[in-house]
Amino acid sequence: EEQTAAMAKLLLLCLKFIVLCSTVESVFEDQVGKFDWRQQYVGKVRFAHFDTHVQSSKKVLLATEKNVFASLNTRTGELFWRHVDMTGPEGNIDALLLHGQDAVVVVGNGRQLRSWDINVGGLNWEMVLDSGSFQASCLVGQQDVVKHVAVLKKTALSLHYLSNGHQKWIENLPESEAVDYQAVYSGGNGEVYALGVVPHSHIAIVAYSLEDGEIIKQTSVEAPWLSDIQGSCAVIGRGMLTCVDSPAVSLYTLDLHGQSEMTQIPLQSLGLEVALGFQPVLVSTQPNPARPPLSEFFLQLGPEHHLLLQLNNDQIVTLRDFKPALLVSFATSGEKTVAAVMSPKNKTACSLNLFSAETGRRLLDTTLIFNMDPFGGKPETLYVQAFLKKDDSVGYRVMVQTEDHTLTFIQQPGRVMWTREEALSDVVTMEMVDLPLTGTQAELEGEFGKKADGLFSMLLKRLSSQLILLQAWIAHLWKMFYDARKPRSQVKNDVTIENLSRDEFNLQKMMVMVTASGKLFGIDSKTGSILWKHYLENIPSNAAFKLMVQRTTAHFPHPPQCTLLIKDKDTGLASLHVFNPIFGKKSHVNPPALPQPILQSLMLPVMDQDYAKVLLLVDDQYKVSAFPSTKNVLQQLQEIASSIFFYLVDSSQGRLSGYRLRTDLSTELIWEIVLPTEVQKILSVKGKRPNEHVHSQGRVMGDRSVLYKYLNPNLLAVVTESTDLHQERSFVGMLLIDGVTGRIIHEAVQRKTKGPVHVVHSENWVVYEYWSTKSRRNEFSVIELYEGMELYNSTVFSSLDRPHAPQVLQQSYIFPSSISTMEATLTEKGITSRHLLIGLPSGGILSLPKMFLDPRRPEIVSEQSREENLIPYAPELLIRTEWFINYNQTVSRVRGIHTAPSGLESTCLVVAYGLDIYQTRVYPSKQFDVLKDDYDYMLISSVLFALFFATMISKRLAEVKLLNRAWR
Amino acid sequence: MRFRERTPLLWVFVQAAVVVAWCFTDIETGPGAGVTLSYQPNGDRFKIEGRAIVPGVKTQDWVSTARILVESEEYVGFVRTDGSFAVNDVPSGSYVVEVVTPNYRFEPVRVDITSKGKMRARLVNYIKTSEVIRQPYPLQIRANGPHTYFMKRETWGWTDFLMNPMVMMMVLPLLIIVLLPKVVNTNDPEMRKEMEQSMNMLNPNPELPDVSELMTKLFSGSKGSLRYAIEARVFKCNFFPLGLLYRFHYQMFEKAQLAF
Repeated sequence: EEQTAAMAKLLLLCLKFIVLCSTVESVFEDQVGKFDWRQQYVGKVRFAHFDTHVQSSKKVLLATEKNVFASLNTRTGELFWRHVDMTGPEGNIDALLLHGQDAVVVVGNGRQLRSWDINVGGLNWEMVLDSGSFQASCLVGQQDVVKHVAVLKKTALSLHYLSNGHQKWIENLPESEAVDYQAVYSGGNGEVYALGVVPHSHIAIVAYSLEDGEIIKQTSVEAPWLSDIQGSCAVIGRGMLTCVDSPAVSLYTLDLHGQSEMTQIPLQSLGLEVALGFQPVLVSTQPNPARPPLSEFFLQLGPEHHLLLQLNNDQIVTLRDFKPALLVSFATSGEKTVAAVMSPKNKTACSLNLFSAETGRRLLDTTLIFNMDPFGGKPETLYVQAFLKKDDSVGYRVMVQTEDHTLTFIQQPGRVMWTREEALSDVVTMEMVDLPLTGTQAELEGEFGKKADGLFSMLLKRLSSQLILLQAWIAHLWKMFYDARKPRSQVKNDVTIENLSRDEFNLQKMMVMVTASGKLFGIDSKTGSILWKHYLENIPSNAAFKLMVQRTTAHFPHPPQCTLLIKDKDTGLASLHVFNPIFGKKSHVNPPALPQPILQSLMLPVMDQDYAKVLLLVDDQYKVSAFPSTKNVLQQLQEIASSIFFYLVDSSQGRLSGYRLRTDLSTELIWEIVLPTEVQKILSVKGKRPNEHVHSQGRVMGDRSVLYKYLNPNLLAVVTESTDLHQERSFVGMLLIDGVTGRIIHEAVQRKTKGPVHVVHSENWVVYEYWSTKSRRNEFSVIELYEGMELYNSTVFSSLDRPHAPQVLQQSYIFPSSISTMEATLTEKGITSRHLLIGLPSGGILSLPKMFLDPRRPEIVSEQSREENLIPYAPELLIRTEWFINYNQTVSRVRGIHTAPSGLESTCLVVAYGLDIYQTRVYPSKQFDVLKDDYDYMLISSVLFALFFATMISKRLAEVKLLNRAWR
Repeated sequence: MRFRERTPLLWVFVQAAVVVAWCFTDIETGPGAGVTLSYQPNGDRFKIEGRAIVPGVKTQDWVSTARILVESEEYVGFVRTDGSFAVNDVPSGSYVVEVVTPNYRFEPVRVDITSKGKMRARLVNYIKTSEVIRQPYPLQIRANGPHTYFMKRETWGWTDFLMNPMVMMMVLPLLIIVLLPKVVNTNDPEMRKEMEQSMNMLNPNPELPDVSELMTKLFSGSKGSLRYAIEARVFKCNFFPLGLLYRFHYQMFEKAQLAF
């Protein structure tokens, strides 16, 4: 038995060794997709084409307003591939033409012409075109073969081979100073037409020979009513330019091949009327670029009024009148062209029908129901994929884009195959809200919350709640047992709003995301499924958003409450949207109307009697209004008004000013700092995050003394950049200002540097990154503030009573990449060491330990620095791919990283958003408070069992031996 | 802990690399010979050209995820289906050109473009920014393997556990203690005599080997023998009574060997 005890001891020792030896730092391969997920987006669709060159192709090609060109799987809605170009006008996609398995794209206002292989997703060729603003482009064919693409610019027309992009010819457009060329057309007869207009005078038509670019014909036709070809004209049938003129309520037709005068066809003669104030629109279709367009076309006369017309020997015939019809579209499969028409059915649904384009007859069994989201937008564009069924009839699927940038792909008779919320490609701000307790948990909480009413009833309550808990537990066990019998794939873990509840470590949260389009989303952080969405209409296009959590889920039975401040950047006028972050429903609380422009908003830790935090709004008259503004709140505000300070930033004037609240909710100016705008401009002002906790007040030095941190909660980091951007004279400045007193705590200037500057301000440090123009590299700088070896007032920090200036340490490093965004990890109690999360342009998110950015890193290693665990100074910070928290799940154009603490001190929840959204968990100090997921339960239990049995057996043997000896 | 131990080593490497780089730098650094002129049709904007190669992988399997980033996202290019690429409309200046794919690692290259459009490619060195180590232009960027995103888990099965020296050290003697009296009849006087003799022969044994030495001997060939040796040494110093135990077992072990 002594033996076994020794063995056990030794085994434990073994285990200890093993635990110590295995150091965990980054993601393990088996953790892929376990806690993390990524969603990829493309943005609002500008052009979409279904791949038709192979029957039963599953591709749809999208070019979007985010300068993304992508191929989607029509069965699942997932990306086959995606190419993300530069942001801004250089990467803007002007046109998308699809021919066979090549997609030709015009990019950057006609600067580049690219051809993509849509199967591989690689570039076939790329051509730089002459400068000149892009007008139009089209595919050019002859004798049923399409070999060229024509690009019309302001002053020239060029023709390129589809096979290699080489220019066949380029010709100047005649009189291009006067004529505004807007359209290019080819009907497959060996001629390319450039159509231009002199507004309110005439149309200019130039016909070029396809072979050598020679001008075959040049005509000019009187059209004093016309100002814009693209908006009001279309080529129909065998080269008939058809335009619509709303003041004269007429259609005009012109044969491009020879006529010199336009024929007027009054709409009244067709028995038609234009809706008041509506600019009619013509929609034609040219299924094959090597042949002329069809002679059937759509004419839209009102917001819900479309007509299918046919041009027949200069006569216009009405094939069908669609009223009401929201959207119409042509689609071709093989030789058959159909027209799809979407008409409203009732308030929440639309019906789609297919009509023969030639006759206008409705095709049988082609009705499709599109159910609209009551919290979504109206349908905006219709993309139709037509295909031939086995019996040679036409079947179709549609992709509907709504105002809120949602893409819905629907199959007959109305089955939604997939939806893509493209609004999420432009997340502006977000918050993570704790999930509510379950009903039973809430019941328990409620029991403690309520006032006591007698011993007996309390006991009853206690018993009943225990009973409920027992019931829930049994139900849970039963479900586990039931699920265990089913094969794993069938067990559904669908998250719905109904079964949402907080998990034991509060790792699952509700991500409330606000997008630039004004659509709000509630996303489950564990699975990434969208639990609710709400489209806010009438959001100005240049709106700024600020999302605040006024009441968390901790105050049952009061519902949680979020407030979104929407501010028009130009006028400053703002509005509030108050909603429940768990269900997305608009709150019944009426927010105050805000007639004055809003300068600043701040959340106070003060709560009203319903546990809602008070939001203060400062208008341009420096008057303060509170929301909620109950008597209770106003009373509290009066009491604490003298200790409420806030600051305003006017970057155009370079002015920073601090104010104090008066008891009558007016304000008084306390301090003002003016940074002359001729010298420098304010880039950003960063305070600390209000929910940040700092666990240790100081750092233990190598000689066991303590260096106390300067933890000023009112400290502001003001980043400035020189107005003069000359390489030798530019600089980036960092001002640390106390927000209450306006005292400048520290000032640092980096010379020969420029922005953009990314800043993280936390605890007692500020980390910022800038571009060094002298050395052409990115550099990090860290400033740390310390009180010194003694703390002035250890119980409370007051900005008004800090006589000693803090000690400032600063160090800079080279970083081998530029960065897109930066944030620091955040944990519940602040015990865990901090990491910086850095979004890189390559799409990686680097988790860089803060200990690498420590101004106390010594140049020469001493015994003390070794004791303190300081890393010796090295000028370059390394990027190790093992530190990428998102491994190969790159996040394109990452714009923001949101960190939130979880219920576990070791774990920080991270959401990175940009074009994509990526959610994961990070453990900056490893998982010290939970068993790691590779913990070997098998081993420990088998060892224990083995020991147990060994003890039993040896005991038995010893007994036998003793007995035997006794017998002897 | 880890960083403290690693960084000096890394620093030495960096220094070594710098020294090596110095040795290979050509003296003539001006953008003279071997440059290609690549004017764009108009203006003073130029084109950066090159080719990206992933050895052993078909281009169509990776080009759809690849991007060419010039000075991060200031200019962006795409890879053709044959692996070549061009970034258009780049004004003169000095740029870091990177091939970015989620799965393969490419080294960045610095490309200098003079105002006349002369191009030169060199290694990126952020510390010595003016140092020139020429690279071919048009660029030839070869992937040096897949990205390593994951740490390897320390997996260990039963064999690892059983082959652990401490476990063996405990298990083997146990077996001997339990089995030896059964195999060898200790009541046999002849045997007892023989054993006593052998005991006298061995005891005192001046050549009793060190624990660690024994362990390394025993497990040399098996992976990580050095670590075991170190562990064993730690074990020896810290657990003196266990060391004694070992001594005892060792003797028993030898006796058993003699017995057979």
